[in-house]
Parts: sequence; structure tokens; C-alpha cells
Amino acid sequence: MPNDILALGPFIAAVSVAIAVLLVDIAVPGRRGPVLVVSLGGLALVAALTLTTGQAVAGGDGTLRVLAFGGAYVVDGLTTFLDLIFVGIVAFTIVFAPDYLEARGLPLAEFAMVLLFAMTGAMLISGAGDLLVLFVALELMVLPGYMLAGYHKSDGYSTEGAIKYFLLGSFSSAIFLFGLAFTWGATGTTSIEGVSGALAAAVAGGGALAPALVLGLGFLTTGVAFKIAAVPFHYWTPDAYQGSPTPVTGYLSVGPKVGAFALILRLFVDALGPLRVDWLQVVIILAVFTMTLGNLVALTQSNVKRMLAYSSIAHTGYMLVGLAAFAAGRIEGLEGLLYYGAAYSVMNLGAFAVVAAIQRRAGVTSGLDTFAGLGRREPWLAILMTLFLLSLTGIPPTAGFFAKAYVILAAVQAGNAGYTAVGILAVIAVINAAAAAFYYLRVVVYMFMREPRSEDAAMAHGRLMWGGLVVASVLTVVLGLIPGPFLDIVGRAARAIGG
Amino acid sequence: MGLANDLNFYLTLSGMLFAIGTFGFLARRNAISMLMSIELMLNAVNLAIVAFGAFIPSLQLDGAIIALMVMAVAAAEATVGLAIVIAIFRNRKTPLVDEYDAMRR
Repeated sequence: MPNDILALGPFIAAVSVAIAVLLVDIAVPGRRGPVLVVSLGGLALVAALTLTTGQAVAGGDGTLRVLAFGGAYVVDGLTTFLDLIFVGIVAFTIVFAPDYLEARGLPLAEFAMVLLFAMTGAMLISGAGDLLVLFVALELMVLPGYMLAGYHKSDGYSTEGAIKYFLLGSFSSAIFLFGLAFTWGATGTTSIEGVSGALAAAVAGGGALAPALVLGLGFLTTGVAFKIAAVPFHYWTPDAYQGSPTPVTGYLSVGPKVGAFALILRLFVDALGPLRVDWLQVVIILAVFTMTLGNLVALTQSNVKRMLAYSSIAHTGYMLVGLAAFAAGRIEGLEGLLYYGAAYSVMNLGAFAVVAAIQRRAGVTSGLDTFAGLGRREPWLAILMTLFLLSLTGIPPTAGFFAKAYVILAAVQAGNAGYTAVGILAVIAVINAAAAAFYYLRVVVYMFMREPRSEDAAMAHGRLMWGGLVVASVLTVVLGLIPGPFLDIVGRAARAIGG
Repeated sequence: MGLANDLNFYLTLSGMLFAIGTFGFLARRNAISMLMSIELMLNAVNLAIVAFGAFIPSLQLDGAIIALMVMAVAAAEATVGLAIVIAIFRNRKTPLVDEYDAMRR
């Protein structure tokens, strides 16, 4: 039992930090200093605890897997890696939020607290060893997300985004749960190892799977496709992202997305591993539609937040390419997917931070016009935005380039090894990456080659905002230039579940 | 006896309730009705879970626990959902989702 509590240590610490933020705000209401100190200090503590727990419990190389609470919670290299990404995402979001929230009279403490609770859900997903834990963790991650989307509750756009996000989100949760119930009923267990074993036995026994099991797996897949916003289950994304307050949009575009991919890794790679050949087909089809439609619609957007929302759909597609390559037998595909998740989080949060910085004054929209002449008005902000957009496009030497190269290369290797469909997928991904350059670079053109509008003036940004932007930009470049040390960690995480 | 003693009967009923909920979610335009449809879907799932538990002896304990968990999650979801509906009703003065189209104009 003490070992079980130890394994769950980072999660317990994260919950404690969230409660501490709430208590601090009760003790000294409305002050942003103490909230920032407690939440960021607490996150540093959670990160340190995650690292030590990962090393102490699962051994130095992380490939060892430790089961806690009768197998309901798992600590391995993947848990540690994903937990660190989630902590990083939430830390960046808290750093980027205060200026934007203050300008609109929104409190910071509740924002940080709800965000921290969302993080605990994501952390629980990354260590789930049981389908029921997986479901409760998923809800723990998305419910705070609905609240955050509607955080600006007097604003029509924010609440409109929130209700669309909520209705489609809980609709997909119900679908996921239906699939879970039938998978459990047909296999007789909720443990991920048990489901994997039952499926392996069914596959080895030959013949068709039981109808109830097929039904269950189909509904599980549909529910997950909603959560990662894969086409054709993406309808909620643009409105939810455009309507939400900008720092929230930044979080929603990376946090729940990486969380949903954690769900995929635990569910598809771990539990449904024996059926890899079957779900490979589904992943390929989803990847093609998700990349292509996301990019095509992004081309026509005139609102930068909405454009980034569609581009995030396209990025989901690239990550699915990595998953497809893994299902076709290349561990590099899984490594690429994990690397992509980290790189995408940093560069997308950075891009949204610049949008939030430009909206420092209440009432400034995220339309493309707002970016006109930014290069003259606020050169540093424009340069940083250019860096993040180049990285999202996939131009070397940025993290975005390396991430795309990694997943596409893995898909090409799978194609050479006889999985022609995955090879074709790689070609489609390259074409899509080229098309995406157009809409990202259009923002750059607006920033440097258009005259600024007369009503816009340079705005003062807090030191916190600048600090966060510098860290994000340095990470974007370093992850692309010297990926070596980082790839070791990624490789360890991938081997933990990919064998 | 008869129909009521068959697991497949309950699973079919659960599937039908789930389908009605899905139809309601897709067809209704009132946010409250859509919320109710989602609750119907979750309850359909719970019926299936309880049926599995009742008919398969080894799943009996699991079934009760999962059903309780689902009820707790459904309650949490309804709380957040109603709060969001109230917030948007104050802004727009209508519960009809058709009219929440400010971002698509």
C-alpha cells in the first residue's frame, strides 16, 4: 500500500496544488502575486516529484512497468513523459494568461485552479491501467475544459463556444462510455491488460469477434475520434477555439489534445494491441481526411484564432500518421508521435501567447487585420510570432520541422516494409505540409508588409509574458537544433508501451 | 420468465434507448432538450452495465461499481452543462442552439 501511494505521488501533489491555489485566494482575495507563486511553484514541485517517482518506481531506464492499486494505475516511462508535458502546458498557460484576463476583469485564481484540476485528469489518463479509470480521468480532464471555454461568461462568443464544446463533448463521452460498457461486458474485465489478453486469445482462436465486442470497439473508436477532433468528428473545434478567451484556446488546442492522444496510447496501443492490423485501416482513413480537410478550410479563414483551430485539426492528422506507422510495425512512428506532441505543444502555445499579447487591450479582435503592420508596431512580438508560425509550418531548424520529418520518415519506412497504404499516407502528409505554408505565411505577410491601422498602438506587456515567450521560443529552436538528448527520453517512453 | 430473463433483451432495450437519445441530441434544437438526450444516453449505458452485472455472475460486483461511477460522472456533467446553459441564456435570451451562430456569420 505505501508503494501504491508513492506511485500516485505526482497526482496527489497536483490535486493538492489546485486546492492550495483556491485556499490562497480565500486568504488573500484578488491578488495575482500569491496565486502565481503557489501555482507555478507547485507545478515545479509536481514536475520534480514526477521525475523522481518515475526513476524510483519504474527504474532508471523507464521501460520497467509498475502496477499500483491492483493494476488500476501504471507508472512507466510513458506516464512520466506525458505527465511532464502536461505540467509544462499548464505552466505556460498560467504564465500567458494574467495580462489577458486582467484586461477583461476576469479573476486569475479560479482560472489557475480549474486549469490545475484539468491537468490532474490528464495525468490520470497517462497512468490509467483500467478502462474505468480511463473514463473517469477523461471526464476529469474535459469538464474543467468546458468551464474554461465559458470563462468569460458575460461574453456571447465565449459562452457560445462553451456550449458547443460541452454538448458535443458530453455526446462523445456518452458514445465512448457505451463502447466501454460493451467491451467490458464482452471481455469480462475492465483492466487494460485483461482486455488485451482477452483480445489476443480471441484473435489467436481465429474466427470473428463477438458482435457485442465489435460494437463496443466501434463506439470506443468513435468517442476517441471526437476527442482528438479528427475529421469527420471535428465540428465543435472551430467555434470552441474561436469563442474561448485566447489563453484558454491555447490550452484547449494542446492540453486536451495531448491528453486524448495519451488515451489513444493507453487504449489502442495497450488494450487493443492484438487488433493492431484492424485499427490501422481506420487510423489511415482518419489521418487522410483530418490532414486534408483541416488544411483546406484553414486556407479560407480570416480570423487567426479560427485559422489556428483548423490548423490544429491538421496537426492531429500528422500525429495520426505517426500512429499509423507504429501500427504498421515501426516503433519510430510512436517516437515521432510523442515528439510531435511535445513540439506541437510548445509552438502552438507560443503562437496563441502572441495572439493573447496582441489582445492585451479588451475589445481587440483576433482578426487578420489586427496583425497588419505588427512588425513595425511591436517588432519583437512579430519576430516571435514568425518563429512559431515557421515551426508550425515545418521549416528547419525548428522543432516543427523535426517533428514532421520524424513521423513522415517512419511512415515511409513502413511503406517500404510492405504497408503501401502507410507509404501513400506519407506522401499525402508532405503535400499537406506544403499547402499549410500558405496560410501560416499569410500572417507573416500581414505583419511585415502591411501598413498598421491607425487605431492600433504598441501595448505594454508584463515581464511574465515576455519570460514565457522567450522560454517557448528557445525551446522551439533547441528541440529542432539539438533533439538528441530529448530523443532519449522519447525513445524510453515509446519503448515502455511499444515493446 | 421468458423475455425478461434474457440478457440480450436488456442489451437491445439499452441500445434502443441509446438510439433514441442520439436521435434526440441530433434532432432537437433546444439546449435543455439536448442535455436531456445526453442523460438518456448515459442512462441507457447504465442499463446495459447493470444487465451485464445481473446476468454474468463474475461481473456482478464490477457492474455495481461502474454503474455508480457513471451516475456520479453524469451528475457532474449535468452540473457544468446547466451552468453553461444559464450563462449563455443570460447573454442571448434564447435556449435554441440554432441561434447561437455569431461566429459563423
